[in-house]
Amino acid sequence: MLKMLKPKPVLLHKNGPQVRQEIQACIGCNECLLACPALSEPITINTLNREIVGGTISAPIARFAQACYQCGACVDPCPVGLHRDAMMMWLKVRLLSSGWEE
Amino acid sequence: MEQTDAQNYSLFFMSASKPTVKTTVVTLLGMAIALALNLVYAHFSTDNSPDSVAGYVDATVGSILLLLAAMKYSIYRRSRNRGVGDLNGGLNWHISFGILGLFILFLHTFGNFNPRTGTYALYGMIALVISGVIGKIIDRVMPRMVAQQVQKALTAQGEDKIASITQKLQDIAVYNSQELRGFQARDSSMAGLPPTKPKTGKGAAKEQTGKSLVIPSSWDLAYFSLDETPQEMNQQAAQYRFVPDRKSELARPMTYLPGTQEHLEAIEQVQQALQLEQTYRHIIRYWRVLHIFLAFTTIGLTLWHLEYALQLLIPLYIH
Repeated sequence: MLKMLKPKPVLLHKNGPQVRQEIQACIGCNECLLACPALSEPITINTLNREIVGGTISAPIARFAQACYQCGACVDPCPVGLHRDAMMMWLKVRLLSSGWEE
Repeated sequence: MEQTDAQNYSLFFMSASKPTVKTTVVTLLGMAIALALNLVYAHFSTDNSPDSVAGYVDATVGSILLLLAAMKYSIYRRSRNRGVGDLNGGLNWHISFGILGLFILFLHTFGNFNPRTGTYALYGMIALVISGVIGKIIDRVMPRMVAQQVQKALTAQGEDKIASITQKLQDIAVYNSQELRGFQARDSSMAGLPPTKPKTGKGAAKEQTGKSLVIPSSWDLAYFSLDETPQEMNQQAAQYRFVPDRKSELARPMTYLPGTQEHLEAIEQVQQALQLEQTYRHIIRYWRVLHIFLAFTTIGLTLWHLEYALQLLIPLYIH
């Protein structure tokens, strides 16, 4: 309760190189996906990481990116301190700015 | 299949996932059953009040559902025993129980809205559920707005726009400083300036002799000529009279730094986008805090109402 009252600083977005760096540092433990309340269908962390970096975005990943509401529940469980919410924001920007192939 | 921009990330995106469909059906079914049972009771009974048998059943079931909404999701979120995507189901049940619980507690009032403890508790529950619904809308709209602002703050290659603009400004500054150095060069041709008109008479002869840019030495070291040396710039010369009048195009700010104003405006736009991003993120975060605060307030009001109701009921059953 007290932890909730103490406001954490709001982390703004990360740029492309930073996101790629975080993806490279991901150990694929799946903790972020387990903690995510927005993810409604099972996807693998490898697919997600691959599609965040570049290439075509598949329909389940696009649905997940659209459903992500940046609650930050994925950040705390990460054992290597990565920001999955920033990676998802990067994916959202990719969805906004370019077409995706299904 | 290549999709257009609007289809990629639409504001009214709806994903009818299995948990969503299941919980929506259960909620609607539960509401219909509760309403039907209350209508049947009201038809056959004369005691249509919150402290009737149906009222007590409604109160108990509604409270249990609201408690489930609050506790089950909170506990499930902290548990380790779940698979990928399971928590979304938990969130959907949280919403389902919340709406169903409020509906049944609304039936518990039997249209009795006197300003007493129960009414305050009901207001608290209504505020809680409405804050949840608004929160769900915020969760849908705000991240998209954040993404739009992030898009403004990044270049097409995904680099920071501010860094890119700063680099461009630095290039302009370097270019201009190089131009300025060229301008200060002694030889006018080096600075790209038009050649000066040849002077006639005594001065011309002196200039021609001094073209080697060497001051004619004198045997008398104390000798000092007041004449203009070739190194000295004649400030009255036409090519140096560049101070413009007020109406001139050159009098406008940033004339000597072309493109700078546009870049500075772009930086301001990026800064605005970053501020908006931060504001939207704060709205997402603090709306959740408000929802939790309302949940605790509602629990307090419900406990107050229970205490009030028990004070009335216990003497009734004892005697």
